[in-house]
Amino acid sequence: MKKLALLLTLVLSMGVVLAACGSDDSDSGSSSSVEVTDVWTRATTPTQDTGAVYMTINSADGDTLTDASVPTSVAGKTEIHETTTDGEATAAEDSMESGNMESDSSMEGNSEEMHGSGDMHGDSGAMMGMKQIDQLDIPAGETVTLEPGGFHIMLLELKGQINDGDTIPVTLTFEKAGEVQVEAVAKDE
Amino acid sequence: MEVPGVRSVTIGRVLSATLLAVVLTVLAAGCGSDSSDELNGITRVPPAKTENVALPDESPESKGKTVALKGEDGGLMLVYFGYTSCPDVCPTSMADLRLALADLDPEQRERVQVSMVTVDPKRDSGKVLNGYLGHFFNQGEYHSLRTEQPGKLARAEKAFGASHELGKPDAEGEYDVSHTAQIYAVDDRGVVQVEWPFQTDPELISQDLKNLLENNSNPDA
Repeated sequence: MKKLALLLTLVLSMGVVLAACGSDDSDSGSSSSVEVTDVWTRATTPTQDTGAVYMTINSADGDTLTDASVPTSVAGKTEIHETTTDGEATAAEDSMESGNMESDSSMEGNSEEMHGSGDMHGDSGAMMGMKQIDQLDIPAGETVTLEPGGFHIMLLELKGQINDGDTIPVTLTFEKAGEVQVEAVAKDE
Repeated sequence: MEVPGVRSVTIGRVLSATLLAVVLTVLAAGCGSDSSDELNGITRVPPAKTENVALPDESPESKGKTVALKGEDGGLMLVYFGYTSCPDVCPTSMADLRLALADLDPEQRERVQVSMVTVDPKRDSGKVLNGYLGHFFNQGEYHSLRTEQPGKLARAEKAFGASHELGKPDAEGEYDVSHTAQIYAVDDRGVVQVEWPFQTDPELISQDLKNLLENNSNPDA
């Protein structure tokens, strides 16, 4: 019985904490069903003029990310980007964790054989690039992850170096939820 | 599902799996001296060679001196073709490589050098490259390779099977860059021993590095 009471208290207090978190996310009063977590940015080198912000977005009812911005004191421009492999979007394939490299090599050399093993993915010799996207759909009930090698918020014309531990305020604009303010923590990893 | 057959099928599977494991072990033992079969990354047959490929090194030590794209005696050179305005792929690769190097013991780490060849020399000055690589690696450990001669860069890329493309500049003169994002490990003879595709687990990279360095330190093996 004691255990049950403890568990109940724990569950109830978690509920309170979650409710408290929720309330400062949506200032516009619109019923924001968007949840943005794990917002981080890679610390930059002293001479880098671009950066990338990553995060996890979840929407119970479905929504669309249409814009992202950071203060102009941080970066002159902010764009939503997707990393591509040979012009094709790679983000969708990212869920396939352990691809077999031997089967998907796209090398041109005809006499070359490839041998590989291990838990990796990615085409050998494939060209990686990126493209700007106008919007990012968050399907209802699904989680979309912005992560290295996939979607990211690109920061251009950086005004200074982003150091490990810095925080950057990011304003995300969603079609339904409106503006959502989050903070990206810089990690040097 | 028929219950009676299940047990024997399972045993059969276990047996054949064991048998397979034994056969594989025997096979592996048969070619014990050839480490390439144990590498996690991609190996090519025949391997790429970087003979006569050398590029100017803008690092503080070299100050523009030409450096051959191969490891020092008994060592490895890890070569990456990229550019510093790259927000996602290049810093991810460099950060992964830093993690992999951190896993080596000091003696092994001393035998590894990192070279980044910029495919965007217009925006990447030597100073920019040094600032970039100096963030990820120790001074003396990296080479900032840069040439303004497209032919020279193309020859270096060709030796590795690498390539890049510069997009059309927009109104502000900004342009996109796409590029192969492998990390190549070149030994002291200029042979590309292994290459790791983008987002290879740093642990697998360091395993390969240790494997190659151990083999290399003992020429008789």
